[in-house]
Amino acid sequence: MKSQEITFRVLRFSPETDKKPHYDTFKVEVKGRMTVLDALENIKHEQDASLSFRRSCRSGICGSCAMKINDLTKLACKTRAAVEASKHGEVLVEPMSNMPLIRDLIVDMGEFWREVDRGKPWLIVDEKQAADLTKENLLTKEQLQISSKLADCIMCGACFSDCVSRVFDKNFNGPASLAKIHRFVADPRDKGGVGRIEGLVTIGLWSCTHCYFCWSQCPRDVRPVVAISALRALSFDIGDKSQGARHVAAFIDSVRSSGMLNEATLYLRTMRWNTLRDFDLILRMTVKGKAPSPFGRPIPKITEVRALYRLAHEVKQK
Amino acid sequence: MKYAYYPGCVAKSSAPELYDSTAQVAQKLDIQLVELTAASCCGAGVINEGNPFLNVVLNARTFAMAESMGLDILTICSTCQGVMRHVKWQFDSDSSLQAKANEALAKIGMQYIGKLEIKHLLWALIEDYGLAKLEQKVVKPLKGFKVAPFYGCYIFRPPEVLQFEDHEKPTSLERLITALGAEPVPYEGETKCCGFPILFVQRETAFEMAASYVNNAKQKGADFMVTPCPLCHISLDTYQKKSLNQIKVSIDLPVMHLPQMVGLALGVEPEKLGFSRHIVSTAMVLHGW
Repeated sequence: MKSQEITFRVLRFSPETDKKPHYDTFKVEVKGRMTVLDALENIKHEQDASLSFRRSCRSGICGSCAMKINDLTKLACKTRAAVEASKHGEVLVEPMSNMPLIRDLIVDMGEFWREVDRGKPWLIVDEKQAADLTKENLLTKEQLQISSKLADCIMCGACFSDCVSRVFDKNFNGPASLAKIHRFVADPRDKGGVGRIEGLVTIGLWSCTHCYFCWSQCPRDVRPVVAISALRALSFDIGDKSQGARHVAAFIDSVRSSGMLNEATLYLRTMRWNTLRDFDLILRMTVKGKAPSPFGRPIPKITEVRALYRLAHEVKQK
Repeated sequence: MKYAYYPGCVAKSSAPELYDSTAQVAQKLDIQLVELTAASCCGAGVINEGNPFLNVVLNARTFAMAESMGLDILTICSTCQGVMRHVKWQFDSDSSLQAKANEALAKIGMQYIGKLEIKHLLWALIEDYGLAKLEQKVVKPLKGFKVAPFYGCYIFRPPEVLQFEDHEKPTSLERLITALGAEPVPYEGETKCCGFPILFVQRETAFEMAASYVNNAKQKGADFMVTPCPLCHISLDTYQKKSLNQIKVSIDLPVMHLPQMVGLALGVEPEKLGFSRHIVSTAMVLHGW
């Protein structure tokens, strides 16, 4: 079996002795398809028994070994050490972000769980219906498809760790939480109704930037960003009047009217009086010849766009 | 090389310098751009949050237009590319959705067959034109410049949809910068989100994102940043001062659109590349050029 010596740079922190984290370097003889978790076990057993990290199933099922490997959060048990080294020259191993560090590669996931809990991640049942034990509450194959994809989430925290918005916005409950909410919203047995959607604006429904890190880093391919978009569409439909929903409404109106995005009206309708905060900038843009005009002309064949709008609207109503 | 050209809304509105500089570069490289003047906005991922099917059919209409011309689509906006490729990916993986979209298109006498490619100018330069050939066209190498590449999101994420380069370690911008004679500067944040999608909704968060990446690039010695996305350019250039004010940092860093940087190296006069429209002055970079 082909083997090579690979350098692992591992973040270390001991709350009893260290004021701040530092990095230790280990050399590991990596054979074949050895994973980063295998290498960490090797380091712990043969080089430094004090190295601390979480792990359990070693099969990508439990989600315990999520950690940052060369800057991206992954399951160490699913990540090949040789592949990482071939791309980056070494394997940099750090604890997950957006959560407080406890020791070495172990973080306090309490923050993550609290955010998941904000979204009521459980099935809200009709007590009367649930009490009737004579009938099964079955889902169709199609209904199951939507919620089962989201139910694949193993709560490893990878999406939360790599979420760019969460770094700057601590009110944003994060991708895993919103995906979990959509899992129940999409479940026809759930009786949470519009109440599940209404409160989402205050916990971060419109804070996601669509950076797609949660999609690319999810080890179970849950694609939380898709669930977030679906939740926003539902919120929009039930009359959400928040700034985020106004932004969507203004965008659609602009495209229906001219075929193109009118940046000026989008801005005015979304920001309203807050437009004044950018008065200086708008003047500057005008001087530079780049202030968008609110009076955009429709594109050629705009009637086609409007016809498609009507058709799509009918599909939505159905 | 000939493409159905989809410049997107921003290049024809608040970033005319992107539209103009693309025309200059295309002329220099003999790339024919046949503009899809009747194409609508791609929806920028926002229409999808109000009416997902509208998002799908509007893009299907654009695809059908390009197909009828027998050309692939070229964009100069990462967001347009991301959204359009996402819709195409939805069609490729769900034929019933494509059939449903075609039912709608039939009402306006159009049809989407599913045989086209959608690529950003960055990809076209690398895959179709070739960096070796581009290097031969460089008449004014950007020697001595340290350039911070800002990829943003939609140029390579999600990887299943974009399928261009390794999203974990992208190199396309670095390779382009090197081919033009400049030196790429690594810094923290080059593959992160610029904050634009929430600029009008969560302003303070968006400002912090943009400001931290600009600041990181500056600290690493960058002379300017370059981005393939006009929406990133709004965050990084137009709102730069306001965002840096928020984190109480007093610096400035010019930000170029991708074709502006290419145009300079190809010998296009700076005044034809629209630098005068930037909010953050590019005078320091262009001094003596």
